[in-house]
Amino acid sequence: MTLLSVRDLCVTLETPEGPAPILEDVGFDLAAGGSLGLVGESGCGKSMTALAVMGLLPERAVATGEIVFEGCNLLALPEGALCKLRGRRLAMVFQEPMTALNPVKTIGAQVAEGLRWHLGLGRGEAEARAVKLLDRVGVPRPRFAPGLYPHQLSGGQRQRVVIAMALACDPALLIADEPTTALDVTSQAAILDLLAEVAAEAGLALLLITHDLAVVWQNTRSMIVMYAGRVVERGGTHEVFARMAHPYSRGLFAASPGALDAVLPPGRRLAAIPGLVPDPLHRPAGCVFAGRCPRAAADCLPAQPAERRLAPGHAVACLHPHLEATPA
Amino acid sequence: MAVFLLQRLAAFIVTLLVASLVVFLVMEVLPGDPAALMLGVSARPDTLAALRSEMGLDLPAAQRYLLWLGGLVSGDLGTSYTYGVPVWELVRERIGLSLPLALIAICLSTLIAIPLGVLAAARHNKPADVGVMGFTQLGVAVPNFWFAILLILVFAVHWQVLPAGGFAGWDAGFWPALKTLLLPAVALALPQAAILARVTRSSVLETLGEDYVRTARAKGLTRRAALWRHALRNALIPVVTIMGLQFSFLLAGTIIIENVFYLPGLGRLIFQAIAQRDLIVVKDLVILLAASVVAVNFIVDLLYAVLDPRLRGGGHAG
Repeated sequence: MTLLSVRDLCVTLETPEGPAPILEDVGFDLAAGGSLGLVGESGCGKSMTALAVMGLLPERAVATGEIVFEGCNLLALPEGALCKLRGRRLAMVFQEPMTALNPVKTIGAQVAEGLRWHLGLGRGEAEARAVKLLDRVGVPRPRFAPGLYPHQLSGGQRQRVVIAMALACDPALLIADEPTTALDVTSQAAILDLLAEVAAEAGLALLLITHDLAVVWQNTRSMIVMYAGRVVERGGTHEVFARMAHPYSRGLFAASPGALDAVLPPGRRLAAIPGLVPDPLHRPAGCVFAGRCPRAAADCLPAQPAERRLAPGHAVACLHPHLEATPA
Repeated sequence: MAVFLLQRLAAFIVTLLVASLVVFLVMEVLPGDPAALMLGVSARPDTLAALRSEMGLDLPAAQRYLLWLGGLVSGDLGTSYTYGVPVWELVRERIGLSLPLALIAICLSTLIAIPLGVLAAARHNKPADVGVMGFTQLGVAVPNFWFAILLILVFAVHWQVLPAGGFAGWDAGFWPALKTLLLPAVALALPQAAILARVTRSSVLETLGEDYVRTARAKGLTRRAALWRHALRNALIPVVTIMGLQFSFLLAGTIIIENVFYLPGLGRLIFQAIAQRDLIVVKDLVILLAASVVAVNFIVDLLYAVLDPRLRGGGHAG
């Protein structure tokens, strides 16, 4: 059953130089209990997509299209109704655990807050549940009292607290926006394992946003690759990794360091994609990747290539996709 | 906490010592002989010399400094040259007016400024924000003596609900005394509130952009709940800093308002003491004010620790 269905999502940001299109015609589906990876480099619109789903876009941003979650279009909902969904059915884990927690409130109170807000629990009951949640995410008593403040915890521990906050009200969808980017390598794997574990346990759907292909490979069943505000390739994670049909996906793949040993040959050199992501204010009329693409031809320039299906559940927005398997 | 208190105490003592040295030296350098001033220009030299010796003005400077300091420590502030009464008595009378006045003014200012500042931040760039900013601009720009005169015209002359000036004294009862302090307190509070509201606004705006406010919103809190529960307390540190500075100013920097309302406050006392070369009063008052500033700063530091657990010290877990 489809839990989240995003259709034709466009987000435009008002800037002093005029409206800048941040997202253009983004669409994807996520089944209940499923997992979807959103991959792309910084500035490709991954986080904006997440914020659009949460209804937390910056004030200067305007979103059009449809974000249908559990049958209702979030973009058409009034703020009050969105507040009832956020934290209750939709939850989010942020990139920066160092700043995502309020420095002047105890971790126990911050985890309990959602329970009190949404479920109307009393202080005692909410705090007892908060202790259980903290225990579940690996911040157990007595070593970590709920009366601790965020500055008394390390980055990885704080991210666990953020996860406990997100899980508090049994949401149906968990959006994790680069949840491990700010952490050291040892905590990264542990946090990802924890996310996968709790998602499986509670049967919640996971929308995992990352620039790290290895993270997608290990944690998601399907994935989309985004570039300059557009979806350039989508499909089952295994299918996409096997083919890497879009030249940008291949570039991203070739530029990924380590941790992909399962799919990469040893001794491989990292490659860089030449050129820069086009400025949202001056995007070309044709394929946004054409300026950096080794396979670009004259027919790439006049119009944005439409998505074409390569195989069941695997589509690419490219006129000259790689049809051969990803080189091993 | 003990270390913190000891550090504060040491800072307190050092600040007062430095202040006492500075004020003593300045008073030494300034021209004007208090004995000559008391006796007038036609005084005979031997009378003058006798008075100087009686007042201890003929002793070496270092000795006079130490004598004065010893007096301060033992609680003897000396005797005023002009009033002929112990300085402590003068000061006690004035503090009975200046301290409550400052307290009322700072309370008024806080009660006006924080809600206005928060409102402006919550309605950033909307009419309410523009209105508050305009009002505070006016509050900063209007000289407070002019505003005081306006208050007298409206409340004392036109409506005749509050006295135009003078201080009834606490012996007259709580309400009559308070009544005489209300208009001056309002006149003092307005410009302070204007500044404080601006500081509150910019500080709240800054914290509203913090990640933890977004986290709170992601939990489902409304914009308003996120502001009150998460942004405000974090925004209060600069506000408390400004409040501390304002309170120190309100204690003795209010001479203009004291003159408009004809109030015998500390500001007036210090002004008169300087004009009359009543050196002992000047020196004692400066030390007293320095002590009050340090004490207010100490309270501000304690408030920081109440507001922000990161400033309380305490170890890391795990």
